[in-house]
Amino acid sequence: MPGGIAFEFPDLFFGGLWVTVQLSVLGLAGALVVGTAIALLRVSPVAPLRFLGSAYVEFFRNTPLVVQLFFLFLGLPLLGLRFATDTFDNIFRAALVGMSLYHGAYVAEVVRGGLLGIDRGQIEAARSLGLSYLQTLREVQLPQAFRAVIPPLGNIAIALVKNTALASTIGVTDLLFGAEIVESRTFRAEEAFLTATLLYLALTIPLGAIVNVLERKLLVVR
Amino acid sequence: MRPDTWPMFLDPAIWRFFGEGLWQTVTLSVASVAVSFVVGLIFALGRLSSRRWIRWPATAYVEALRAVPVLLLIVYFGIKGSSLFRPIFGPEFELPRFWAGVLGLSLYTSAVLAEIIFVVLPQALRLMVPAMMGQLTTVIKDTSLVGTIGVFDLLRQGRTIYTQFFNPVEVLLIVAAIYFVICFVLSQVSRRLELDRVPREARIRMTELELRDQAA
Repeated sequence: MPGGIAFEFPDLFFGGLWVTVQLSVLGLAGALVVGTAIALLRVSPVAPLRFLGSAYVEFFRNTPLVVQLFFLFLGLPLLGLRFATDTFDNIFRAALVGMSLYHGAYVAEVVRGGLLGIDRGQIEAARSLGLSYLQTLREVQLPQAFRAVIPPLGNIAIALVKNTALASTIGVTDLLFGAEIVESRTFRAEEAFLTATLLYLALTIPLGAIVNVLERKLLVVR
Repeated sequence: MRPDTWPMFLDPAIWRFFGEGLWQTVTLSVASVAVSFVVGLIFALGRLSSRRWIRWPATAYVEALRAVPVLLLIVYFGIKGSSLFRPIFGPEFELPRFWAGVLGLSLYTSAVLAEIIFVVLPQALRLMVPAMMGQLTTVIKDTSLVGTIGVFDLLRQGRTIYTQFFNPVEVLLIVAAIYFVICFVLSQVSRRLELDRVPREARIRMTELELRDQAA
């Protein structure tokens, strides 16, 4: 039975899947926070802040995620920065921070697009009604931008789930890591990796379906 | 049409028989389209070439084969297919009927596809370039993953250096800087070739691709 090997090594496959899910969910939450903050920098009226925002996006989008992960996991402790004293905790948190920072750059671009897509007339109207810059942002721009960015954020979420596999390279015991261990113990490479593939698909395919539905429902006609 | 000629279709064996035929139809179609697409693409590129000695034979191929009945090609390969390949595969070679059919169908279809591709390819390429440049930067970043299976790429070389000198901070910053310069330049170039003439539908689809498949 394809996938049956998962029940021979439940700790490695389902335990690994659980780590992958945790890393995905927490990583996405982190990426949303980082991304929104960077997007606000990118649309701010202050030029140095805008530059800071673009520099962040360009740096994180144009370097490989693995390089960033290695830096967070190996480089930072040498600079005296550890995410946790426990080695395993440190690795997981380094991966989590890496996922958030890297995908945050993509989220920032999407949120910025959503903010810029709002008619300037609305912003001017809000300002002339006496709302402050921050009030306009909070009451007028962000709620509308949010609606427009949900489908593209779903696409980022799918990319993020797949990218969590890279965390295995720094030793996070995720799904791919589990499959690699099973392979090295049993030499049943096809079964191990096919099973891992099916479990990844069990996450990404429903996610993709949800994104497609949202895409149709939330389509903002401009 | 006598009334007693219909009940036979309740027999599953009849449907299995039809099913076998349908399977041949489907596999023939898929194989022919796949082969025709590759061959058609090559000849379309040939027709777009600025070199006459490439362009003319390609044009001749397309124009000649479009003008021939496809049944003629199929029958020809059914009869002569085996002997055509004997100089290559030896005197015992028998071309399976299926592949003789694929050959005949593909020869004709590839000419038609070549013509279709020839007409739309220049515009399609122009539309594709920015998105493909984006994918190129993704590929460059993704190459850093092959270190895990023991290929000594840029990142892997860096890892060798810092395990010797114990300076991962410095090494990884330099490695990141090198990747950054290459990918940043490419992404700026692709932005220059902006998507302004791309239809809205295609633009939406490409942004989706960029996020789902290039955020890696």
